[in-house]
Amino acid sequence: MLSVKNLIKEYKNVTAVNDISFDVEPGKIFGLLGPNGAGKTTTIRIALNIIRPTSGSVLFDGKPITNEFANDIGYLPEERGLYKKSKVINVIQYFASLKKLDKNQTTERAKYWLAKLGIGNYRNNNIEELSKGNQQKVQFITAIIHDPKLLILDEPFSGFDPINQQLIRETILSFVNSGKVVILSTHQMETAEKLCSDILLLNNGKEICKGSLTGIKRDFGTNNVKIEFEGNASFLNSLPEVKGVDLYGIYAEVHLKKEVKPAEFLRKISDKLLINQFSVIEPTLNKIFIDAINNSNKK
Amino acid sequence: MNKIFSVAKWEFLEKIKTRAFLISMIVTPVIIIAFAMLPTLLENHETDVTKLIGVVDSSGLYFTGLQQKLKYEKLPGDLPRYVLVDLTPDSQATSYKNDELVKHTDEKVFKNKVNSYLMVKNGGTDSVQLQWRSNSTANYKDIRNFEQAFNEVSVDLKFKKEGIDTSLKKYLFSQVDIQPIKISKEGKDKGSDFLTVFFSSFVFIILLMIMIMSSGGMLVRSLLEEKSNRLIEILVSSCTPTQLLTGKIIGLSMLNLFQIVIWGLIGIALTGAATISPEIFENIGLDLVYFVLGFVFYTGIFVGLGATATTEQEAQQFNSYISMILILPIVFAISAIQNPNSEIVHILSYIPLTTPSIMLLRLNISPVPITDILTTILILVVSIFISIYFSSKIFKIGILSYGKRPTIRELITWIKEK
Repeated sequence: MLSVKNLIKEYKNVTAVNDISFDVEPGKIFGLLGPNGAGKTTTIRIALNIIRPTSGSVLFDGKPITNEFANDIGYLPEERGLYKKSKVINVIQYFASLKKLDKNQTTERAKYWLAKLGIGNYRNNNIEELSKGNQQKVQFITAIIHDPKLLILDEPFSGFDPINQQLIRETILSFVNSGKVVILSTHQMETAEKLCSDILLLNNGKEICKGSLTGIKRDFGTNNVKIEFEGNASFLNSLPEVKGVDLYGIYAEVHLKKEVKPAEFLRKISDKLLINQFSVIEPTLNKIFIDAINNSNKK
Repeated sequence: MNKIFSVAKWEFLEKIKTRAFLISMIVTPVIIIAFAMLPTLLENHETDVTKLIGVVDSSGLYFTGLQQKLKYEKLPGDLPRYVLVDLTPDSQATSYKNDELVKHTDEKVFKNKVNSYLMVKNGGTDSVQLQWRSNSTANYKDIRNFEQAFNEVSVDLKFKKEGIDTSLKKYLFSQVDIQPIKISKEGKDKGSDFLTVFFSSFVFIILLMIMIMSSGGMLVRSLLEEKSNRLIEILVSSCTPTQLLTGKIIGLSMLNLFQIVIWGLIGIALTGAATISPEIFENIGLDLVYFVLGFVFYTGIFVGLGATATTEQEAQQFNSYISMILILPIVFAISAIQNPNSEIVHILSYIPLTTPSIMLLRLNISPVPITDILTTILILVVSIFISIYFSSKIFKIGILSYGKRPTIRELITWIKEK
C-alpha cells in the first residue's frame, strides 16, 4: 500500500502541493485527477522520489521510498518520446537495465510483451520507423517490463485508437488484479470513471474531493435528470426547481434542487417542451469534476 | 554502480552509431592533416611555374651578372625558375628622373608585361638601393634569391674593380649557420624546429577543442532531447541524477578515448610514411593525461550548463562561450613558444579552464618541472570534482525545469538546495 501523508511542496512563490494525503491500496486503481497545474505532476514526482517534499511523507508498505525502491517503480509520463534513432529492443533493454533486470529475463519478457501488444515484428526496427501508437506501446512496455510494485501512469490512453486503448486497459487491469499498486493520472473523466475505484481531485494544489467513486457520487447528489427534447429549452434555467442546466442542443442535463421530485418536474415542463426521453441519471464524474473545480475557484 | 555502467554503456554504444560521430571521426584528422601539410604543398606548387621578372638598372652593371647567377635556379624538369627581362629604358630616355622611371616601369607591370621587377637605384655606387616592385604580395623566396644573386654580382664587380682574384671570394665569404638544438634530460639532442613545436602542440590543442566542442554539443543535444520528451523523468526515477550524470560523462569520455585511439593509429600509420614528424608523439603519455583530464573537466561543465538549456539556440550559446575560453590559449601560444617561462604562461597553467591547453603547449616547448606537472594535474583533478559537484546540483533541478532559462540568482539557489 502506498500512503501519502500531509504532503506539502513549496516553491519560491507558489505552493504546488498543499497538504495532500491519500492511500492507494493494491488491487485497485487510484485516480489522480485535476485540471492542468493542479499539482498532479508534482505529487507524482514526489512519489517517484525525483523531488523532495517540503514536508510530509510518502511510504510504501510502511517504508519510505528510497533509491533502492526505484527498481520497483514503473512510470509512464504524460509526454511520450523515446530515443528515435535507437532500436526498439535496445531501448527496452536500456530501461530494464536501469531497473536492474537481468539481460536474459529482459529479452524473454520483451519478446512476450512485444508480441502481446502486436508489435513483435518491430523488435529490430529503429523507434522512428514505428507509428506513433506503436512507439507509445514500446514506452508502455518500458514502464512495466520489470514487473513494478508501484505503477504510475500519466494519461496512458492518450494517442491510442479505441482498439489499442482496450488492449492497454486490459493490460493495466491484469496488473491491478495481480495486486499491484496503480495510480492513474488523467483528464479523461470517462476513463477514470470506468477504471478507478478511488479518486483524489486536486485544484491549485489542494484536495477538492477524495474517496471511493461511489461515495463521491452519492455525496454529490443524485437529483439529476436527462431530457431529450425538440424546441427551445432555454427557459429551464429560470425555473425555481432547477439548480443548474447543461444544454447540449438536443438534450439537457438538469440538476434539480434536493426536494424536487423528478416526476413532478416532468409534469411541469411537459406542456412547454416536446419531450422524447426523460431519465433520472447519476452525475457523471465529468460533471462532478467541472462543478467541484468551479466551486473551488469561486471561493 | 551498475546503473552508472548501464548509462555509460548506453551513451557509448548509441553515440558511436550516430552519423555525427562517424563524420567527426573521419573529418577531424583530414582537417588536421590538411593544416599540417597544406603550407608545404602550397609552397611547392607555387614555384612550379617559370617567372618572368623585369630588371631596371640604369647603370647597366648588374643585368648580365644576375642572369648568370640565377640561371642555376631550376624548376623540377630542368626548366629555368626565372627569366629576366631588361626593362631599362633606351639611352634617349635616360633623362627620366628616378620617380618618372619608376612610374613608367610600374605601368608595364600594370599592363601585365611582367608581374614583378627589380629596381636598382644608384647602381655602381656605395649607396646602391634595391626595390622589389610587384603587383602582388612579394614571395620571400624570390626576394631572397635575387638578394643573394645581386650581392654576389656586386661583390664580383668590386673584386674585379680592385683587381682581386675572384677565386678568393669563396674562401673569404664561407658562412657558418647556427643549428638550434633543444636539450632534454634524457640526453637526446633534438633539432628544435619552430614548425614542429608549433604543430605538435597545436595538433593536441586543436584536437582537444574539436572534441570538447563536438561531444559537448552532442551531450547538450541529447539532454535537450531527453528533457523535451520527458525521458529524463523516467531516467531519474530509475537512477539518481548523480548516477545519470556520471554515467553520461564516463560514456562520452570512453567514446572520445576510442576516437583518440583510432586517430592515434592513423597518426602512427602516417608517421611510418614519414608525412608527420614523429616528434609530435614524443610527449604522448603526459599529453594524453592533460587531454583526458581537460576533456572530463569541460564535459562536467557542459552537463551542468546543458541541463539549464531549454532550446537548441541556448545550447549553442553555451557552446560558443566555452569555445572562446578554449581558444584563449592559442592567443598566448606564440608568446609562449618564444618565452615558455613567462609569467602569464605560468599563471594560465594554474587556471583550470586553461590548464589543459597551456600545459599541452608547455610540454612541447621546454622541459616542464615535475612539480609543475604534479600541481597542475592536482588542480585539474580537484576542479573535475568541483565542476561535477556543482553541475550535479544544477543538473538535478535543471533537468526538471521547463520553460524559461534560470537566472544566475536561481542557479545559486539551486546549488544551495540540499
